[in-house]
Amino acid sequence: MLVMGEVHTGLLQNSGEVAASTCRRLLGLLAGQTVRVSRRPIVHAVSPDRLTGVDCRLPSASQSRVRGVGTVLTRCSITGGRVVQGSSYVRIVRAAVDRRLPWSHYLARPGVMEVLGKAKPRDLSDGFTDDLPGDRLSGASAGRTRPDPARPDPARGDRGPGWSGSAPLDLGAISGRFVDLVQSSPLLDRRAPFKIPRTRLRWVAESASESGAPAIRFTLHNDQLRTLRLVHDGEFTPAVAELCEDLALHDWLLTTLLVIVERALTGGAPGPEAVAKLTPAVDHLLHLWMPAARVDETLTPLWESLERYPGFTRQWQSLVDRIRDQISVNMLTLLIRKGGW
Amino acid sequence: MLVFAISDKGGTGRSVTSTNIAYRHALQGNDACYLDFDFGSPTAGAIFSVSSVARGTRAGGLHEYLRGELTEPQRIDVWAESDREGLRVKPPGAGRLVLLPGSEGGGELSTVDDEMANRCVQLFSRLEEEFDLCVVDVSAGRSFTAEMILQATVRLPAVPFRWLVYHRWTRQHIIAADGLVNGADGLLDVGARFGHDPEVLRERIRFVRTAVLESEAAELVGLRDEQRAWLSAYDGELRELAGRHGVGRTAMLGKVPLDPILQWREQLISDEDVLATKIANAETAAAFEDLAKKIMDDSAWEGL
Ligand SMILES: Nc1ncnc2c1ncn2[C@@H]1O[C@H](COP(=O)(O)OP(=O)(O)OP(=O)(O)O)[C@@H](O)[C@H]1O
Ligand SMILES: [Mg+2]
Repeated sequence: MLVMGEVHTGLLQNSGEVAASTCRRLLGLLAGQTVRVSRRPIVHAVSPDRLTGVDCRLPSASQSRVRGVGTVLTRCSITGGRVVQGSSYVRIVRAAVDRRLPWSHYLARPGVMEVLGKAKPRDLSDGFTDDLPGDRLSGASAGRTRPDPARPDPARGDRGPGWSGSAPLDLGAISGRFVDLVQSSPLLDRRAPFKIPRTRLRWVAESASESGAPAIRFTLHNDQLRTLRLVHDGEFTPAVAELCEDLALHDWLLTTLLVIVERALTGGAPGPEAVAKLTPAVDHLLHLWMPAARVDETLTPLWESLERYPGFTRQWQSLVDRIRDQISVNMLTLLIRKGGW
Repeated sequence: MLVFAISDKGGTGRSVTSTNIAYRHALQGNDACYLDFDFGSPTAGAIFSVSSVARGTRAGGLHEYLRGELTEPQRIDVWAESDREGLRVKPPGAGRLVLLPGSEGGGELSTVDDEMANRCVQLFSRLEEEFDLCVVDVSAGRSFTAEMILQATVRLPAVPFRWLVYHRWTRQHIIAADGLVNGADGLLDVGARFGHDPEVLRERIRFVRTAVLESEAAELVGLRDEQRAWLSAYDGELRELAGRHGVGRTAMLGKVPLDPILQWREQLISDEDVLATKIANAETAAAFEDLAKKIMDDSAWEGL
């Protein structure tokens, strides 16, 4: 029917870039299984998938009470030894029967949630992307489920989770907790080079066979929250989730660079102080920009359409130029003052 | 940096001073947030002039978060939501100023379980990722809230934190502030029980004197010579008392003068209040500004 996901992206809480071997250990904490590490074009480590059992209400734009049972798939990744992501998603399908089945049934379908009773895909996806808990910064969070990956995983038990009543599906809470687990590792020194909020990207993917031509729409809701709706060719594959993760990563990089430039260049006059605030960006962020580096070929047209509008790379490049200009001008001024020019 | 604001007695000026520190810190270009952990009377909203949460919030407060009823507590962007016009625009160069309100009618914590301490750890750890300064108003006296914080900070060994103990400049307040830190079931005692090294913890605690009448203050102008002489002598006695109780100058981070406007109303002191309308004293704003700097300045926290 459709796939819903939420990616949380943040700065790894360490003073310097973390080595690939450490990334492996950081992500190994989550599951103890193999962590996949690729080194080209940038070091990227991904944890194995973890399952969280859920039996809860699904988001619905019409406020209908729709119950879903199944397992959410989550994984964590670290890019460039610097950026951590927690990514959860779930494929929503219609259940064959209108009651909950033995838990083994759901365990045999990892990352799938079965909807008991009637539900319209459109209603669910609108509910998920439009009814945003933190949309207004002051809006109370509606997220009331509290999965805790540190506790024995309900998905692995043979009884599964209990019906959580009115609590809606909260993929963000699951992703957030996984990021917390990595950030709280004693392998990290917690002396990050700057303070920066995490961003959250909520996404819904539908197949073109059900919803018309391939398309992608990216929306900024507030400083931290984004939504992405996409229609892809063919069946859903994990490559779609990877596309969303890549977009979330680059959106976070861009958002973060904007914040750093604003901090450095508003208020005071440009000068050594501004440059001091810009250097962490140069040291830790600029080399991480590699849009679509790991995106499946069949999906690159979607990335490309976002490059046309809103134009991620264009904005990134102009910020990078601005930072470089500030730094060179400042260097020149220093040299001239010292009489060395 | 996490900063825990506590006092032995109620009504010392803990909330007014702490909110002003967060405000000044944001004006200095840093991202600051304020957590209202005074669950019995969460009134920070009133001081920030956010009337919708003047007595705490109805849904999404910290109390509910700690009880596990929500995954993330409500946040209020003070620059966007304050009712005071002068606060409603973020000054150029200022950082974020965010309030996490308590729950209206929440009540003091009546116990702390492991789950609650874990949620507290998660909250502090996430906020510290994105804010330069997180001020936590802990409420007055020995409480489960203070206990929970001592527990949580043991589990966050790499996260820097400091405590500010507020007291007024009176005999009773000086003795009480000492007791809260050094006495039985005081911060050091309870902290050690949860695994803090008391000597390390002591280095992270400083005192702040509130509503202090300085001998040159304008308020003293109308006094008779005898009164002034007595005040001056008594001030000396208090200083001596404070020294004996470990609340003396070396353990003090700063002091805030008595300001008539704060006696009338709990509020943030803006530069406009000092320079344009002139309802507040420049010394008061300067004291808040000084505290907002010293709170992060390691040299102000070197060994006693
Ligand atoms: N520097 C000051 N000069 C004059 N009055 C002050 C000063 N600081 C605080 N006050 C006033 O003292 C009273 C108590 O202050 P505040 O509410 O901040 O104390 P508190 O310690 O948070 O109290 P509670 O324990 O009830 O929460 C308030 O009316 C406040 O305006
Ligand atoms: Mg108070």
